[in-house]
This record gives sequence, C-alpha cells and structure tokens, in this order.
Amino acid sequence: MDGEAGGAPEVHRSPAPRDFHFCPTDLYDSEGRLRLFPEEHTRTGRPVPAEMTGEPGGAAPGKAQSDLEEEVQELADLYALAEAEAPGCLGWGAAGRDLREAYRYAHGRASEEYECYVIPEEEDEDEAALVFCVTCKAPVRACEVSDAHGEHEVTPLSKALESAKDEIHKNMFKLEKQIIEMENFANHLEEVFITVEENFGRQEQNFESHFNEILETLAQKYEEKIQALGEKKKAKLEALYGQLVSCGENLDTCKELMETIEEMCHEEKVDFIQDAVAMADRLGKFLNTETDVEISAQPDFEDQTLDFSDVEQLMGSINTIPAPSAPVINPQAPNSATGSSVRVCWSLYSDDTVESYLLSYRPVQDGSPGKDQAAPSPPVIKSKEIRSCEEAALICWESGNLNPVDSYTVELTQAESPEASGVTESVVGIPTREALVQLQPRQRYTIYVRALSVGGPSARSDPVTVYTTCVAVMGNLIPIRGRHYWEVEVDERSHYTVGVAFEDVPKQEDLGANCLSWCMRHRLASSRHKYEFLHNGTTPDIRITVSPRKIGILLDYENSKLSFFNADISQHLYTFSCQLHQFVHPCFSLEKPGCLKIHNGISMPKHITFY
Amino acid sequence: MALKQISSNKCFGGLQKVFEHDSVELNCKMKFAIYLPPKAETGKCPALYWLSGLTCTEQNFISKSGYHQAASEHGLVVIAPDTSPRGCNIKGEDESWDFGTGAGFYVDATEDPWKTNYRMYSYVTEELPKLINANFPVDPQRMSIFGHSMGGHGALICALKNPGKYKSVSAFAPICNPVLCPWGKKAFSGYLGTDQNKWKAYDATHLVKSYPGSQLDILIDQGKDDQFLSDGQLLPDNFIAACTEKKVPVVFRLQEGYDHSYYFIATFITDHIRHHAKYLNA
Repeated sequence: MDGEAGGAPEVHRSPAPRDFHFCPTDLYDSEGRLRLFPEEHTRTGRPVPAEMTGEPGGAAPGKAQSDLEEEVQELADLYALAEAEAPGCLGWGAAGRDLREAYRYAHGRASEEYECYVIPEEEDEDEAALVFCVTCKAPVRACEVSDAHGEHEVTPLSKALESAKDEIHKNMFKLEKQIIEMENFANHLEEVFITVEENFGRQEQNFESHFNEILETLAQKYEEKIQALGEKKKAKLEALYGQLVSCGENLDTCKELMETIEEMCHEEKVDFIQDAVAMADRLGKFLNTETDVEISAQPDFEDQTLDFSDVEQLMGSINTIPAPSAPVINPQAPNSATGSSVRVCWSLYSDDTVESYLLSYRPVQDGSPGKDQAAPSPPVIKSKEIRSCEEAALICWESGNLNPVDSYTVELTQAESPEASGVTESVVGIPTREALVQLQPRQRYTIYVRALSVGGPSARSDPVTVYTTCVAVMGNLIPIRGRHYWEVEVDERSHYTVGVAFEDVPKQEDLGANCLSWCMRHRLASSRHKYEFLHNGTTPDIRITVSPRKIGILLDYENSKLSFFNADISQHLYTFSCQLHQFVHPCFSLEKPGCLKIHNGISMPKHITFY
Repeated sequence: MALKQISSNKCFGGLQKVFEHDSVELNCKMKFAIYLPPKAETGKCPALYWLSGLTCTEQNFISKSGYHQAASEHGLVVIAPDTSPRGCNIKGEDESWDFGTGAGFYVDATEDPWKTNYRMYSYVTEELPKLINANFPVDPQRMSIFGHSMGGHGALICALKNPGKYKSVSAFAPICNPVLCPWGKKAFSGYLGTDQNKWKAYDATHLVKSYPGSQLDILIDQGKDDQFLSDGQLLPDNFIAACTEKKVPVVFRLQEGYDHSYYFIATFITDHIRHHAKYLNA
C-alpha cells in the first residue's frame, strides 16, 4: 500500500477526514527503537493528527479497490486506527511521505521505498543495531554503549551468541561425560552382581560336599557299630549255648549214672559187686572230669567308645576355607638359573583365592666344574648395542675366545658406585652371546659378563652402565649430510621434548641440558603452555600463542640448522644454529606416560623451503 | 598521480629509490622510499610495506636496517612511507617528538586542527597502495606489512582492521595496547578526542579480541633491554594474552640484551623478511 503506486484507485479523491489518526508504531514493538517523530514520541502509538491531501493517482479497476479496502481495514485494525469513513479514498499520500521522510531523517538513510508500516532496518555503518554488553549480560544498542556501558566490555552480538553456544556445548560435553560415567558404573555393578552369584555358587558347593562327607562318615560308623555289636551278641550266645549243651550232657550222664547205681543196688550180691567196681571206676572218672561251672559269656556288653575323631575333624573343617589347589611350578626357563639364586615361576590353575605362597627347597646335588684346564678369556660387551627400558636390558657381547666356551654368566650390580657392594645378582648358564635381564626401574646398573668352560670361569669383562630411567628414545636417520624432515604429533597436555642429539650424549641427563643435544620442550603449567628451545641448558625467551599439535622438525646439515614448526599452520617456531660435526639422532621424550606419533618419510612442505 | 624521483641507488642488484608526490589524504607533499629487487625487472613482485616509528622519516629504515640483501634474495618490493604529513604548518605539530610531526600514529584524526592532514591510516591502507600498484611492478594481490614501535602498532592495526588484505604481518617492539600507554593516550586524545571507543578502533589488543578474519601468522621481536618496554609503553603481554585467548598464532621472541634501536632491527630483519616471503611467495 504505497501512496505513490496508486493506492487511491478511483475517481473521487476527497481528502481523508480530519479525525483520521494514525499511530507511528514499529512493526516490532521493541523498546530500544528510535522514535520516528522526535517531538511527539510514544512507543505504542499516541495518535498523531495526520494531514491528508488528495493526490492524483492512476485509475485502477474496482476490484483492486476492494482489495485495497480490505488491506486498509486490516492495517487500521492492526494499528488501532480510527474507522475511516471513506476507505476507498485512502491515499496515505503526503502523510505517508512524511512518515518515510521522518524515518529517513531519523535513520539517516538514502531514499528508499517503504511499506506503509515501518520495517526495521539492517545495520548500517553509522549505527550498529545491537551489541552485547558482557558486564551487564544484556544486549544494548551500540549508541548507548558509551552512556551506560562506557567502562564495560562490549562484544558484537554474534560473538556473544558464539560464546553462549560454547557454554551450551561445554555443558553438553559435561553431560555426555556424566552419561559415560554412569554407564561405566552400571557395568561395574553388573560385574559385581555376577561375582556375587559366582561366589555364592562356590560356597554352596563347598558346604554341600563337606556336609555330605560328614553324613557318609557317620552312616558308616553306625553300620560298623551295629555290625560289631551283632557279632558280639552272636559270639556270646553261641558260647552260652555251647555251655548249655555241655551242661545238659553232663546232667544226662549224671542222671544215667544215678539210675544205673540205683538199679545196681537192687541186684544180687555177686552181680552188684561186679558192676559196683566198674561203676566205681566210671564214677571216679566222671567226677574227676572237671565241670566248668563258669559262665562262658557275660551278659553285659563292654563299653565301646567309638572313635569319632574323624567326624569331629570334618565338622571342624566345615567352617574353614578350603585350602587352595596346588600351584604348578613351571619348568626352569633357560638363563634363569643361578649361582647364588634361582628364579622359580609357577602358575595357579584354579579359582582359589590365594593370600601368599610358601616356597621351600633343598639342595639335591652338588656339582663343580673340573679344574684341570685353563679358564677362558673374558668376553667383550658390545656397549653400543645395548637396548634398555624401564624394566629390562638386552646385552650382547663378543665371546673373546678362539675356542668355544660352555656358557656365559652375566653379573649385575645395582649401586651408586660399581665397586661398592659387589655382585647382587648373576645369571648363569647362558648359552648364547646375548641375554635379556630383568631390572628395576629408575636404577643404575653396572653389568659384567664372564665366560665359563671346563677350565672354570673367566675374569669379568669390562663393565657397561645401564640406566633404567627412560629419558628418551633415539631414532636412526639415514646418515646423509643433507636435509631431513619429520613430524611429531603431540598431545597438548603432555610434557614432551623433541629434538636431536649426538650418539654419545650423556644418557642420564635431560635432552638439551648439555651441548650434545638440541630440543624443543613443552610443559603445561596450570593451563599455561610453556615452550623452551634448549641447548646447553639455556633457552631463548619465546612465547607461542597457539599450541602446536603437530611439530615439524627440519634438520639441515648443510646449513647447520635445526628448525621447529607448527606444521598445521606452517608457522615457524624457532631455529637453532648448530655445529653438526657428526651425525645426530632424532630424540623424543615424555615426562609422563603418553604418546608421541612420529611421521617419517614425508615430503618437505613448501613453507620449509624458506628456512 | 605524478611521482617525482628524489634519489636512486643500486643495492644488492636492485634499486633503492625515494619518490615524492602530492597526497590527497594528507593534503601535502609526501615522500616514500621503495626498493625494487632484481626480479622486478622481469615481472611483478609482491609488496612489503614498512612503517617506521616515532621521529622517523622514510630515510631511517632504508639506511639503517640492512634489509636489502634479504629483500633482493626473496624478490620483494619494499615500500617505506614517512611517519606523518610534513610542512602543514599546524599549530603545535612540532612541540613534541611523540605527537604531531613524525608521530602520525597511523590513524585518521577526527579532531581539529589535525583532521585535515593527519590521515595516515587511509594513506597507508588506501592511497599509497593504489599509487604503488599503478606505478611499479607489484602484484596487487600479494601485500604484507611490518613496522617498528609506532610502526609496529600501525602494521598490527592495519592487518587486524583489514582481514585478508595482508598476507602476513610482523613487528619490532610494537606499541601493542596504545589506549593504556602514555604515548597512545597522548596521541589518541589529540587526534581522536575523548571518546574511548574511537581509540579502541586503533588498538591492536582490542582489535584482536573481535578479529573475525582468516589466520594471521604474527612474528614479534622485542628487545629485552628496551627502555620503552620497562616504561610500559609497549605492553606486549596484553596483546599476547588476547591472541592466546582468540587463538591467533603469534611467535613472540624476547631478545636478550637488545634495545629499541635500529641495531636491534638490523639483527632480526632477515628473519622478518623471510617470514613475509614465506607467505608472499607461496
């Protein structure tokens, strides 16, 4: 609805009634908007008398007019305009022009077409719409910044949005972390749950078997006792019965004799005398036989105390934790045997909980080498080929003898000074000319080797010193005196050192602490990154604002330079001028366990060619 | 635009020249020095702008810094303008060595009586490059900027206010935070009035905080024995902190034993030229 484009379409153009008011409101009723009419300002539309004059407008069809009428009515309603009596002739005309001009004036704008309602403008150079005051934590108009927020920190709205988004992301990240933690906890609980089940199962089994054992033993005893009693009873009864039978026989004989004697007394004298003599003999014999009148078996059974000691033992042991299964000793590993000590290894093949082991031993055989031949010469340790880490060292040596030897012995001393405490450990029976010895971390060891043959042991070899502090790792470069480039991916939170060093750099010192090494060292101290470029213990004072994640290292033998770069942004960090009379090795070290990823064999990036 | 050659000397196979012209921005005659390396004879070269510090003219840099060998080797055209309008006869312009003549601070002044002539910012970022591009064999797409002290401040703000215009920026002992140091306060209140918002628009530390642009790689050398450092005129820590916060890459080197002089500049100028060559010749 634009006055100039023929909003008043038809013939009669009477001026709009005088009581026609319109209110200068913004489409968006925001507080901070500049008022259009500085003299009569309201924000929400105190009516202002408008001047309407008729205006020549192009003829337009009646249909357009009714559309217009509707639009006008809508707008009138929207802006709480008074009812227009003649909507058809509503040309905003001059008033519309005034409105635009006023707006233009207020916003200092070049002339542009506007809709009849005010459209908020884009930012222009002279007046930024909104900025964000960090101190007040509120959006403000740029022009008001100097008033109320002069001392405050102000950033563009987009920046404030960004930082708000950052906050949200951070919180999201925290939430994610929490989710992960809770999941871990849930998993842990599950594991504990399962373990409880298992433990219960084991206890149950245990108890059951114990209990059954006791029951069986008792049952067994019951049977035995009953059986024994039964037999005793049988024995007694038999004895008594036997006695009874013999008594009966005795009685029978007595009765028979009595009857015979009675019969005899009634016989003729001559028969009586004959029989009486015979009878007297028989009687005499009979009476001489002893009659056992002792009862052969007592009616009582003796007290039999049963031996329940084994049951008692079982009962007692029902509450004790069962002893674990026996461990299995591993067969003796080569090179683990000893002159003064033995390494014994064993394994446990059950679920038993073991608190400790008890090792006992006794010598079985005593052997010693023959003494009729000459002892061999001492071996020569290849000190340049020693490899060591925190817990072990790999030593290799030359035999030192023309004739073959039987075996070698490695002797280790762990001490501040090698001469002081003598040998603390020796490894005997080594068949080859190398040995992997296990060591304690962060110690210094002096190592010797002896050769052993039937003639006896050789003297000690020259000693070598091994350090089990992992100060650094050395790499090997192709020994060309040209330019070498490699990259190291680092963790910004770790304390790392990367650089180069000569072969004979003192291994117990930090990289860069001596004149045989050059390095870049990074430390993180309470979220402040600290960078040093060390040689001979000194570093220049350099501050780097963007912490590198990938460090490019250029070693240039021709120009005697060692340069460091932030490879991701091709930023040069520092260059050493170093006299490289020999070949150097790339070195890498970490102060705490962590990870450095080395990229080798990559082509030199273009920006490196400037150095 | 008529250029009048004032001098020409052969140096490291190239030519060190000085020209004079009528400046529209500054409303006076201005001189500038320009080095054309050997390579410029056969093709267009990148342009490196040097902004000098307080009290300097176009002569100090070309005679004291020893930059020619490196510029010649890397094939860079090096332009060194003057540090302020000259001969404008403004009252008070010669009263101090750190305000007025020789101390333009690379701003566009808004206050009288300076605003007619003291428009060094527009001169350095608009008028002079247009002039150079039109009259010398330079590639208009490859431009970098560096400077010393007040010129270091100028280089930093030109780069930060015009993201993408300069391929690289570096500085020797720059004034990093002028709204907080005596030099800056004196110059800005004189040229820009009391509205601190106008000051911040020319302060590298403030500009970095809202720098939206592409990656800059900033090299800064600072002498440890520089008296102006200990006087609190330079304030590099503030700038470094802001760059760390905004992750703008800076390598800041504190050079033991070096002061504020051109001996310091001469020692490290080769490193800076190489720094720019890396980006200009990429």
